Amino acid sequence: MNVRLLIDNREVEVPRGATLLDAARKLGIPVPTLCHVEGLPPSTSCMVCVVKIKGRDAFVPSCGMQAEEGMQVESETEEVRAARTAAIELLLSDHVGDCAAPCHALCPARMEIPRMLRQIAAGAYGDAIATVKRDIALPATLGRICPAPCEKGCRRAANDAAVSICLLKRFVADIDLASGAPYRPDCAPASGKKVAVIGAGPAGLAAAYHLLQAGHACTLFDAQGAPGGMLRQKIEPARLPPAVLDAEIARITELGAEIVANTRVGADVSFAELRGRFDAVLVAAGELPADAIAAFGLPFGAHGILADKKTFATSEAGVFAAGGVLRPLHMAVRAVADGKEAARGIDRFLTGRRTMAHDERFSTHIGKLKEGEIAAFLTGASPAPRVEPAGDGMTPEEAAADARRCLRCDCRKPHDCALRRLADAYGARAHRYKIERRTFVQLRRPGLIYEPGKCILCGICIAIAEEAREPLGLAFIGRGFNVRVGAPFNAALAEALTTVAGRCVEACPTAALAYDTE
Amino acid sequence: MTFGHLTPNAVPRVLQDFLAIRRRPRAAAPPHAHDRVPDPHGEIRIGLGSCCVARGSRAVKDALDRAVDGLGIPITVKRVGCVGMCHQTPLLEVIAPGAAPFFYAQVRAEDAEAIVRRHFEPKGVLRKARAVVSRALDRLLTDEAWTPPERFALDTGAQPVAAFLGPQRQIATERRGQLDPLDIDEYRRGGGFEALNRCVTGMQPDAIIEAVTRSGLRGRGGAGFPTGAKWRLVGNAPGERKYIVCNGDEGDPGAFMDRMLLESYPYRVIEGMTIAAFAAGAREGYFYIRAEYPLAVERMRAALERCRERGLLGERILGTDFSLKLAIMEGAGAFVCGEETALMASIEGGRGMPRLRPPYPARHGLWGLPTLINNVETYALVPWIMRNGAEAFAALGTARSAGTKVFALAGKVLRGGLIEVPMGVTIRRIVEEIGGGVAPGRTFKAVQIGGPSGGCIPAALGDTPVDYEALTAAGAIMGSGGMVVLDDTDCMVDIARYFLEFTQDQSCGRCTFCRIGTRRMLETLTRICEGKGTAADLPELEELAGMVKRGSLCGLGKTAPNPVLTTLKYFRHEYEAHLAGRCPAGKCKALITYSITDDCIGCTRCAQRCPAGAILMQPYEKHTIDVAACIRCGTCLSVCPADAVRVQ
Repeated sequence: MNVRLLIDNREVEVPRGATLLDAARKLGIPVPTLCHVEGLPPSTSCMVCVVKIKGRDAFVPSCGMQAEEGMQVESETEEVRAARTAAIELLLSDHVGDCAAPCHALCPARMEIPRMLRQIAAGAYGDAIATVKRDIALPATLGRICPAPCEKGCRRAANDAAVSICLLKRFVADIDLASGAPYRPDCAPASGKKVAVIGAGPAGLAAAYHLLQAGHACTLFDAQGAPGGMLRQKIEPARLPPAVLDAEIARITELGAEIVANTRVGADVSFAELRGRFDAVLVAAGELPADAIAAFGLPFGAHGILADKKTFATSEAGVFAAGGVLRPLHMAVRAVADGKEAARGIDRFLTGRRTMAHDERFSTHIGKLKEGEIAAFLTGASPAPRVEPAGDGMTPEEAAADARRCLRCDCRKPHDCALRRLADAYGARAHRYKIERRTFVQLRRPGLIYEPGKCILCGICIAIAEEAREPLGLAFIGRGFNVRVGAPFNAALAEALTTVAGRCVEACPTAALAYDTE
Repeated sequence: MTFGHLTPNAVPRVLQDFLAIRRRPRAAAPPHAHDRVPDPHGEIRIGLGSCCVARGSRAVKDALDRAVDGLGIPITVKRVGCVGMCHQTPLLEVIAPGAAPFFYAQVRAEDAEAIVRRHFEPKGVLRKARAVVSRALDRLLTDEAWTPPERFALDTGAQPVAAFLGPQRQIATERRGQLDPLDIDEYRRGGGFEALNRCVTGMQPDAIIEAVTRSGLRGRGGAGFPTGAKWRLVGNAPGERKYIVCNGDEGDPGAFMDRMLLESYPYRVIEGMTIAAFAAGAREGYFYIRAEYPLAVERMRAALERCRERGLLGERILGTDFSLKLAIMEGAGAFVCGEETALMASIEGGRGMPRLRPPYPARHGLWGLPTLINNVETYALVPWIMRNGAEAFAALGTARSAGTKVFALAGKVLRGGLIEVPMGVTIRRIVEEIGGGVAPGRTFKAVQIGGPSGGCIPAALGDTPVDYEALTAAGAIMGSGGMVVLDDTDCMVDIARYFLEFTQDQSCGRCTFCRIGTRRMLETLTRICEGKGTAADLPELEELAGMVKRGSLCGLGKTAPNPVLTTLKYFRHEYEAHLAGRCPAGKCKALITYSITDDCIGCTRCAQRCPAGAILMQPYEKHTIDVAACIRCGTCLSVCPADAVRVQ
């Protein structure tokens, strides 16, 4: 027997006993869920799948509500979306965890530092350099000169001292350059598009590095005799040996970048000509005097050329600007980050495709740690003090020792977390509600981590353990706001989940349950 | 202890834990009294409900027993149920042969003998003489004048008592203060079990349901679903096996109607429930009573046993084919277990967590079988309806709310207690006539009806009748029957905060809106009470309250915002005053300052009592309060003989 109903004014027929969620999915209406697992009884807990039934004031969870003949259901309305957003924001308000570790969030280039640290600790240098070079075009260079804003945020500093992130980055980059077969990123097939980059400094070089990977041809015009810009002119060779800079630039030219040296745009070649010959132009000429800036004929302000903060596009179609030409910079890493983001903007302009930048993704932050909280983070980390390398740069032993000091405070499921995905999809605000934050807690079982502060009480793990007849299993404990999922009899996690820990980790919609490995 | 799910291997461990809890010493149950017939020599009745006991009735009863024994007077000291006049307990009613009943209020154990002597003559010359001597000795040995018992005499014809009793109508509490709760013969002599007899021997289930429907009876647990319709749903539900449940998991702070009915009229509740089971086709059922009601559990257990002995329960009730098995299930004290789906989960042995309805218990209840769940008071009204006719019940009350409702009247009224009023009576009559109004000099501000699920109705809407629809329209709910009267010294923001603190703590934790939403609302209210609120807080609070109300899974969450929404609606100016740094009622500590006016007589009483040492000891000088040291406890205010402490 079937029932027919309307969802968002579209008719659908489902078997009797089917839920509104089943019906919506049959119509292809994207009703979000967190606590729902096909095959398990509806938990009706997260409330992000709510819909509204015509004639009723209340919202109902579509995962548990059975479809009835003639029902008129609203799903993609403003009202329903507001209710779902409220549910997501309430869950986020009680989410004790960082989507990205503070070091990661503070890095201007958004390099995934914790991942790099784990790869170094494991001796997987090839993986580590890939992690580094996904976001940073000149790591050996920056590893020598960067003021390391990332280390200012390192949670380990609350205990003794920050992890030596900058030196570790230099360590993997140096090993890579010396390896004889340095890392070379995969490049997309040639797009047939050409980009002119004015200035072969850190911003221009980084932009070229990322544009080439996207399949666009790049020509860099530089007024000097050798590329590198400020890196070559302003930094004494003792800090940054020219050979290191040359080696890193060579990694970019080998991807196909053409460098036209001793060519001043405006004098040796006109800006208009470049605009005519290339599909896009990036102005990355570094800090310039006002008259030189004016010479580009682009709108500019007190600090430099005006460009969109996200796409780096100027008001002239196809003309972009990045680095010191926009405003005075204090860190080369800022210029490298600009180059990367500008490349994304140019790629979007050239192809229409849209890739999401790291910092465009939703992210929660727990902020400053409370008294005593650091202890929970310290459990898995090496207790050793910060490594002060004996020589210039680190030895592999030193690198491993320091990398193991990382507290692993980043999220273990930054890409699989369903709550984060939903927060993105609904434009949720992480800190919509002013709150008293819970204390961060971490429980461990060999290979398994449980962080109750990230639990949304969906009960999926409880149901899985019960279904699998775990001798002890898990249960809801406590009442009200303090309800937590835990093992009965105050037993250890290992006793509670003897056979289904893996299934629970896979099914957990957040990183409350996660593997204790990469 | 949390046991989680149960597997065969875990059973020994759970049992062990359970037995360990059981082995803990418990208070011995008192021997139950014998069934009695009224004493021709006279009797003294004393209420022994839980709240009477809390006010010292047990000690008074013991003193009366001693006095009667000592004087050799052959009268009975009779335990009766709740009298309703909580403000007057311990309350005695003296029935002397040939005299009108006489009441004594607020009796102390030491007054017992004097009261007995006043109404009854000691037997035998020797005892008389000894009584006279001892009385004389008493007077010699104490320098206080002997307190005449008249001081406590309470004349039922006098104005306050008449006003208290006048607007009341006793149906669920019929023969209040007269019945020994466990005397089954006395209950039967007053017409008890007549209705049951009539139903099971002479009526078809359909006719009973028809009568209940015509009576207009609606669920007294709060939501007011028509009782007859519910019985019919269960009756018509497919399946041979059906359950019946009595919801006695009363948990609203300050509400104790169900406890009183269970303690005082156990047979009436059993009778009503048995009739319901017969009508709906249930043959098995449970009383779900919270474990915090030990006396109710004890009396219900004894009452069930006596009913079984008399053939009123069990196999072949009253010789018919109808059989009913009833058992008691003690709740573990979770407020949310009053929600019917959570209650059923609890009976089944699971964690008391509500689930989405539909399916409703009428189709899918205990262990998936059709189940009839009604509240204690609902069942207690049924025997009267079947005995006196549906029309008699329907004639009481309003068009859509028939009959009577029991309320626990508390708060800032002169006479608090348990009252039963016909529907339709106005809130103002309850407060002013029955309750005697607020204290002299104070202003009646609002009534909080329905506890944490209900709302505040302002004095301006005092003419709102007690009626399901009228109360809902005003933003409150009928609820289970808590009624707290508030005066101008009560801060409405603080009241809302208090109830929300309760609900957020009692949420089962399942759904996001209730678990986290109520907590966020509480945090906002706390901020406002602490003077840290901002202008954005009120619209945000309102918006979140709306989401929690519309998005929560069960009744607990859906009604939890009511205290906030009604106070925001009727007392928004008080919220705004808090945002401006003022608490008009002088309740919120962060927003008030204490000072001493020129009326100060320099007696130093406040300085002596101030726990914070904020008042300097300066005899015969005007005292001053060090605002920085003051903890705003209000001690100075309460001890000042000159009314010279000002709160701003």
